[in-house]
Amino acid sequence: MQFTLVEIPRLLPELLLLVLAVLVLGSDIFERWASNEEAQIERNRSAGSLTSIGLVLIFGIALLQSGYVYLLPADAPTNPLTNIVRNLQAGGPYAGELLGVPITPILGAFHSDHLTMIARLTFILAAFVTSTIAYETLKIRNPGEFYALLLASTVGMCLMAGATELILAFIAIELTSIPLYILAGYFRDDKRSSEAGMKYFLFGALSSCIMLYGMSLVFGFSANAGSNGPNSGFMTQFRSIAESTEVASNTTLLVVGMIFMIVGLGYKLAVVPFHAWAPDVYQGAPTVVTGFISTASKMAGFLLLLRLLEVAFPSLVGSVALSYSGLPAVEAPVGGWSALLALIALLTLVFGNLAALPQTNAKRLLSYSSIGQAGFILLGVFAWSAINPLDQAIANTSLIYYLVVYLISNIVAFAIICLVEQQSGSDEISAFNGLAQRNLPLAALMTISVLSLAGIPPLAGFFAKFYIFLAAWQAGAWPIVLAAVLVSFISLYYYLRFLKAMFIEAPEQSERLTVPGTALATIAVVSLLVLALGIYPNLLLELVNHTQVIASN
Amino acid sequence: MTQAVSLEYVLIVAAALFCIGLFGALARRNLISMLMGIELMLNAVNINLVAFWRYLEPSYVTGQVFVLFIIAVAAAEAAVGLAMVIAVYRSRTTLQADEVDSLKG
Repeated sequence: MQFTLVEIPRLLPELLLLVLAVLVLGSDIFERWASNEEAQIERNRSAGSLTSIGLVLIFGIALLQSGYVYLLPADAPTNPLTNIVRNLQAGGPYAGELLGVPITPILGAFHSDHLTMIARLTFILAAFVTSTIAYETLKIRNPGEFYALLLASTVGMCLMAGATELILAFIAIELTSIPLYILAGYFRDDKRSSEAGMKYFLFGALSSCIMLYGMSLVFGFSANAGSNGPNSGFMTQFRSIAESTEVASNTTLLVVGMIFMIVGLGYKLAVVPFHAWAPDVYQGAPTVVTGFISTASKMAGFLLLLRLLEVAFPSLVGSVALSYSGLPAVEAPVGGWSALLALIALLTLVFGNLAALPQTNAKRLLSYSSIGQAGFILLGVFAWSAINPLDQAIANTSLIYYLVVYLISNIVAFAIICLVEQQSGSDEISAFNGLAQRNLPLAALMTISVLSLAGIPPLAGFFAKFYIFLAAWQAGAWPIVLAAVLVSFISLYYYLRFLKAMFIEAPEQSERLTVPGTALATIAVVSLLVLALGIYPNLLLELVNHTQVIASN
Repeated sequence: MTQAVSLEYVLIVAAALFCIGLFGALARRNLISMLMGIELMLNAVNINLVAFWRYLEPSYVTGQVFVLFIIAVAAAEAAVGLAMVIAVYRSRTTLQADEVDSLKG
């Protein structure tokens, strides 16, 4: 197993993001460093627009590399242009089909498959929305650092999505988290921001330690058992861990290590009962950063959890199937990680959605809502315990679909809260009163994203919920699906409070709420995506179908 | 391979260290003490990994490399954590976690 230069294109999006981070940091030196407000705004605008433009370019390159829009045919003529495209796509997820040999993870540590590619595109989109809204609304001190940290965190998320090895998984989690700690506490003169940063740091570091302890136990288990496969000596790879479970007789140590890792990741994902930090951090952090934390870093965490559980611990999956007359006979008794996650999902669904009901602060309400959403997402993770391979494929597909739809809906909602907060100076729901009269387009976009989060047809959120319920039902966890349907009705109440404030309540101020054009355009494009995916879900579903089988390599 | 100390004893020390660190991180109210608890937990992990590497697969380097990465990341984390502590102290002149409570609901 060796790293060859040919494999560099497989890491191209991450490398480009790093280059952009260095560029943003470096170009800030050439700006006018004055303490007056004008100069600061100018510095912020130039750093932020450089980040946004760079992210659009990287998105384009990644899209070309992915081959989802245009895949170079095998018999294409040879000229400089096609050579570039061919070399790019040889590092993309279609490389297996192009070269005729299945792609394996780089050094067994990082897999550039369809799952990673879709995740990369989504994270770059999230970072783009975040940076655009940030430079339009925030007064950022030392903007170069702010955007460079945002980009570093995006690199970490891309690595998390592709990690198939314990050390890389740990490094990727820290590369994601440490910049986010700083970003959450970036406005250090603001008491709430510094407190949010401190709390996020303490819980994040604690959860990393718990997860690392689990990793060390898992490493001990696999090093002890050894493996018959070709990977002996690389016992931190997910695949070697799975191979060593086949050799070992007693898996107690592995189970303990796995539970520690699930608990540690559970803290990062803010699932009940590990959610205590989330509302405070989400409320205190700058709103754009909250949007980024609650969407992109959560999605990255779920993708890592998915890969970890399906590739490293497939033998411990257990079952969530409760027998009843409509389902085929069940072989395995309830247990394993799927049952553990099902229990966490049930707690998360009930607690997250009920705790959101009495909230009056818009950010805090959405933070409880995203705790509740994590419960829905967990349905897709444990649904992999279905016996039928087709049902497992549906589980993976529905999970990725839900994650992408949740990310774009939620990031729009946070972006709009950020714009309203900047104008009115308040992040309470009452700041939204009469928004329809003050700025109808903004109110309409908020309606789309909130209804998508609630799962109202014909928006994308409805199909996402539908598929994930279907997958969990196929796995036999029908009581949890029923509970999830029930709480999604309850969740409608608090989502509709936004609509009531925007369309029914009288506005506190009558003058028009002005919004920067770039920010509005960005939000509108992303919201159109929510609408388009709702009317035509196959747009995304065809892509996501590539991620059906993760565990095979 | 014969060792003076068997693997179990090393693991027990690491587990005890981890528990002490966890207790410190959860029960102490001073932010610096909580950071110290977290460092103890990381060191417990390091002891675990080095022990597993030394006793179970000494001919490979994976366990050692893991420890080196953890040490490097822990240093970065401690730097950020201490900076956060200073930011909190400057805005509130306290390091008691109970008094850092402006976010509630």
